Amino acid sequence: MQKKTKKLLIAMISIFLFITLTGVVLSQMTAEDIIQRRDDNEYIHTSRAEATMIISQGGRRIEKTMIMYSLEKDGLVEFTNPGDRGTKYLKRDDNLWMFFPDAEDIVKISGHMLEQGFMGSDFSYQDMMESDKLTELYSFTLLEEDTFNDRPCYVLEAIAVPGKKVSYYRRVSWIDKERFVGLKEELYAESGRLLKTSEVQEIEEIEGRWLPVQIIMENKLRKDTYTQFIINEIELNPELDEDLFSLQSLR
Amino acid sequence: MFSIRLALKNLFRQKRRNLITIFVIAFAFFGYLFVESIMNGMEEMSFDNIRAFETGDIQIANSEYWEEREELPLENLIHWNNELEETIRQNQGVTGVSPELKFSANLNNGIDEMGVIGVGAIPERYNEVFQTKDYFIEGSLSALDENKAVIGKRLAELMDLEINDYIILLVRTKEDTFNTIDVEIGGIIRTPNPMLNNSIVLLPLELVQQRLNVDNGITMISLKTAPNQEETVIHSLRNKIDEQNLPISVYSWRESAANVIALSTTKKSGIGSIMSVVLLIGMVGIINNVILSALERTSEIGMMKAMGMKEWEIVFVFMVEATGIGILGGLAGCLLGFLGVYWLVNNGFYLEFFGDWSQYGIPIVDRIYGVWNYPAFGYIFIMGVFVALLSSIIPAYWAAHKDPVEAIYHR
Repeated sequence: MQKKTKKLLIAMISIFLFITLTGVVLSQMTAEDIIQRRDDNEYIHTSRAEATMIISQGGRRIEKTMIMYSLEKDGLVEFTNPGDRGTKYLKRDDNLWMFFPDAEDIVKISGHMLEQGFMGSDFSYQDMMESDKLTELYSFTLLEEDTFNDRPCYVLEAIAVPGKKVSYYRRVSWIDKERFVGLKEELYAESGRLLKTSEVQEIEEIEGRWLPVQIIMENKLRKDTYTQFIINEIELNPELDEDLFSLQSLR
Repeated sequence: MFSIRLALKNLFRQKRRNLITIFVIAFAFFGYLFVESIMNGMEEMSFDNIRAFETGDIQIANSEYWEEREELPLENLIHWNNELEETIRQNQGVTGVSPELKFSANLNNGIDEMGVIGVGAIPERYNEVFQTKDYFIEGSLSALDENKAVIGKRLAELMDLEINDYIILLVRTKEDTFNTIDVEIGGIIRTPNPMLNNSIVLLPLELVQQRLNVDNGITMISLKTAPNQEETVIHSLRNKIDEQNLPISVYSWRESAANVIALSTTKKSGIGSIMSVVLLIGMVGIINNVILSALERTSEIGMMKAMGMKEWEIVFVFMVEATGIGILGGLAGCLLGFLGVYWLVNNGFYLEFFGDWSQYGIPIVDRIYGVWNYPAFGYIFIMGVFVALLSSIIPAYWAAHKDPVEAIYHR
């Protein structure tokens, strides 16, 4: 009887220790671990998506639809709404080109043009260019734990790694503690001024990953302006021909 | 002598027709002289405005930066220090040295944003080279000493900004990271150069260097030289740079204003085309006149030939008559041209009346004035007379070649 009690006690202690230790390990996740989990969850190797972008500027509302293809660092966006049908953007590594069907001409977007809003939205062309994993560009610190839209979150601060070319010097991100998906982000200039905020309005589990499918981006330097980005349909890891990401495919 | 007298008499036989031809030639000449005066005036004013507000007389930059200067990169900058300034000032003929840091920025007023060109400058140095200080509507260039910004009137109107308003300039640092410059507007300018009015924001150099993370980097140095000393200074600076093996190059304002100069070259070919049209109008008028005269005087030509007048004498009569029309038309054209150019030189006209020309790269606002080009008067007059003379030969020969018997009884 004593032996049985002893075994039971040992088992209970083991279970207790396991649960406690696991909890300790989870709660002691470092900022790098968290962001790595987020990168692993959100970084998409290959995809094809159909999306809608709704630009709201002081009561004016413009809706644009597009098909997006991505293959590692390369991306192609083709607009399908009547006003912009045939307009395409091609991103290859660190270069961005645009094709206007009316002009039948390919224009390289570089220099100060990258600061302009992508098709008049609150996303800048430069925002589109950042496809590297964030862990390679920033050093992260866990600031606190918080909730966002009733979801428990880690709040991480990212400061640009010296020498790395990044658009935003500081980013503060709210990352879902269970799903490891970014729910909110504040983007700051080097001067400390808040430039933009992005908030995820809807996430979906797609092929075992939690992905944001509805995001709202606000330019904090301007009043009454925001852009809503909605992914209507997404296919992960489809077969994509590399030729799709060539200048020839733009025409 | 008889032929000349006959030709002069003929000149006044068909007064109305000859008068119309003379007026056609006169108006064509007037058009040429007027347009030529405007074009030259535009060129002179464009060049003056570029030198006085954009480039100075000479610019110094890193040669690699120079190649890409339109992109406003923050690479291949010059390190500005006292030693470099002293090296430049030691050159005889240099009267002003202004370092500047040009960069692209998005100007934000809280509602809209607009792409602009920021220029970091040191007010005292800037005043040595540029004339901007004389064109302030509100505030002064000393606003830069108080860490404030100076913007153009047109830009202020577009962005609904006034003096003492705050603006945010969104910029990218040397590392391509977004940064902001939050400043108060301390001055509003309206210069004769639309570039400054439309898209330039002047800021204190130190503030810009700090926000762009470029240490003491500047993109260019603009120089002012004593009159007619530009070439000498360029030569001596180039020698000094070679001696000291400095990583910079010297450029004349003409190289900076290559686009406007290219426009000016196009303009010259445009004037050439106008000249061709003018001469063509004169030619058609003269040929028409000689043919009509010949048709009217067919019997007369036949009679003169029957009386022993030689063919070349008849050709000569028509040629003198045509040349007379050319001379009268040329004189009238030069007189009208003189009056038109006199008005252009003294009064000019508002360029804005014809829309915003700055969008076509013409750096002029307000009034545009013409300039005198006296050789053009002589040139067009001689060309006109020469063309009148030449264009009369074939129709005159056609008239003179008629058979006298057929000519007399041609009715």
